[in-house]
Amino acid sequence: MKSLVCITGATGGLGRAFCVECANRGWDLFLTDLADNSLSILAASLTNTYNVNVYYRSCDLTNFEARTELFDYLREQGFCFNFLINIAGLDFEGPFSERTRSQIRTMLRLNIEATVEMTHEIMKMRDISRTFRVINVASLAAYYPMPVKAMYASSKRFLLDFSRALREELRSFDVSVTALCPAGMPTTPECIRAIEAQGFAGRITTQNVGYVAAHTIDSALKGRSVYIPGLLNKLLKAAGSLVPPTIVARVVGSRWKSAQSKRALLGSVNGNPQ
Amino acid sequence: MKEKVIIITGASSGIGLATAKELSCKGLYIIGIGRSLERCAQAEQEIRALNPDAKVQFLIANLASLEEVSKLAEDIREQLAQDGLKHIDVLINNAGTVSSWYISTVDGFELQFAVNHLAQFRLTYELLPLLKQSDEGTVISVSSGSHYRTKIHWKDVMLRKRYNCLLAYKQTKLANVLFMSELNRRLKSAGIKIKAFAVDPGLVNTNIGLKGTGGIVKKVWEIRSKSGTPADQPAHCITWLATEPDARKTDKIYWKDCSPLNPSRYSQRLDVAERFWELSERMSGIRYEGRMTSWIPS
Repeated sequence: MKSLVCITGATGGLGRAFCVECANRGWDLFLTDLADNSLSILAASLTNTYNVNVYYRSCDLTNFEARTELFDYLREQGFCFNFLINIAGLDFEGPFSERTRSQIRTMLRLNIEATVEMTHEIMKMRDISRTFRVINVASLAAYYPMPVKAMYASSKRFLLDFSRALREELRSFDVSVTALCPAGMPTTPECIRAIEAQGFAGRITTQNVGYVAAHTIDSALKGRSVYIPGLLNKLLKAAGSLVPPTIVARVVGSRWKSAQSKRALLGSVNGNPQ
Repeated sequence: MKEKVIIITGASSGIGLATAKELSCKGLYIIGIGRSLERCAQAEQEIRALNPDAKVQFLIANLASLEEVSKLAEDIREQLAQDGLKHIDVLINNAGTVSSWYISTVDGFELQFAVNHLAQFRLTYELLPLLKQSDEGTVISVSSGSHYRTKIHWKDVMLRKRYNCLLAYKQTKLANVLFMSELNRRLKSAGIKIKAFAVDPGLVNTNIGLKGTGGIVKKVWEIRSKSGTPADQPAHCITWLATEPDARKTDKIYWKDCSPLNPSRYSQRLDVAERFWELSERMSGIRYEGRMTSWIPS
C-alpha cells in the first residue's frame, strides 16, 4: 500500500482546495472532518476525477476520546503516512467578553490541542522510507496581537512557533514542518462579505484558495519554514515586525472596529472559519 | 397530442424567467428550477400574473452540488409521475453564475465550472431517458459570445493556480458549446431524435454578474449590462428553438436572435469536444454510453 497524505478539516473551503491539489499530484489521501456525508461526497469526486485512492473517517477533533478512536482506527488499517496537513481550525469572532466557556474550550482544543496531537500520532505512523512533511495552517494573524480576535490570533501564534521549533528539532530525522500564514481567504459567503467589507485593502490582501494550496505544497516540498501567500502580505508581515507589538495591537484594533461596523451594515452575522 | 413539458434551470430571474413566461403563455407546462424558495415563489407569481391558466411548478436545487443535481432529477421524475407524465420535451440548461473568487464546491470543483458546465452535463444525462420519450426532444444550453477567443485550459481546467473570473467564465461558456456539439453528434450517431442547441443571448441586462462579485468586476458588469438588451430577446430565441419545427430541420448548433451563427473554430474541433466530454464524464462520475441507445424502455 502506498503511503498516504493525511488532511484534517478536509471538507472546508481551504481543505477541499488542498485535497484537490494533492489528488491532482496523484497522491493517495486520508481525509477527516466532522461530517461523514461531506467526506464521502468529496472522496468519491476526487477518486472519479483524479483516479487516486481516498480513505476517510469522520472525527470530532476537539474530543479526546474521538481522537483516540481515530488513531486506533488508523493503526488497525495499517495506514502509513508521508504527509500531514493540519487544516482543521476555527474562529469565533467578536469581543472576548462575549465568548462562552464552551466556545473558548472548543477553539483551544481544535486549533492547538488537536493539531499538536495529530502531529504527534501521525508522525508515529510515518512511512520511514520517505521524508515526512507537515503543513500547519496558521495565519497572518499569528504575527500580530489582534484585539477582537485575541484567542484566534494567539492560537495561530502558537502554531507558528510550534512549527518553527519542531522543524528545527526534527531536521535530522528527515521531517519538514511548514507553517502556512495566509490573510483572508474567500471560502464561505461570510468570509467573502468580510473581505468586501474591508474594501480595497481586503481585496488586495486576499488570495484564492486554489493558488494558496498549490503554492503551500510547493513550499513544503522545498522544506520552507513559513509560507505567506501574496507579496503584499509578506510586506505587511515585515512591517508588523518593525513596530512594537503594543502599537501594532492598537492599529489592528482600530482597523478591525471600523471593518466590523461596516460589516454590521452589510448585514453579516459572524463566523470566519479557518 | 402529448402535453409539452419544459424544464428550465435558473428560472427565477433573468433569461430563465423571461423564457418561462414566454413558453408558459404558449400554454406549455413549465417546471422551473431555482435556488431560493422565495425568488421561485415570486417568479411563479409573475408568470401567473401574465397567464392565469399557467401550468407551472418550481423545484428548488443548488446546482453547485452534483448530488443535488441528481436529487433534482429525482424530484423532476416524481413531479412528472404525479402529473401522470412520462416525458420531457425540452430541457433548457440556463442556470449560470459568476464569481470574483475561486470558490470550491462540496465536490471540490471550482464554482463556475460546476454550475455553468458540470451541472448541465449531469442533469442532461439524468433526464435523457425522459427526453427520449418525446417526439421532439430538445436540449438547449444558454452559452454566450464570450466563448469566442478562448480555449480549454487542459493542464489546470479549474484554473486553481491562476483563477481569473472572466477567464473561468469564458471557459464555461465554451464548455456549453462543446457539450451541445458533441451531444448532437453522439445522439445522431446513436439514431436518437433529440436535438441539442447552444444559444448566444448577446449582452443582456440581467444581474448574473452582480451576485458573486465585487470591486471592479461588479462595476464593469453593472455599466455594461445597462447597455444590454432586455432578457425577452434571448428568451424569444430559446422559445423559437424549443417550439418551432423548422429549427429541428437544421444541423446548426449555435443560435442568436433566431438565426444560426458560426461558433468559434476551437469549439468545432472534434478532438477537443471528445476529450472534453471524457473529462466531464470523469468529473461528474457518469458514463453516457449506456443511455445512448435509440431503444426506449416502454
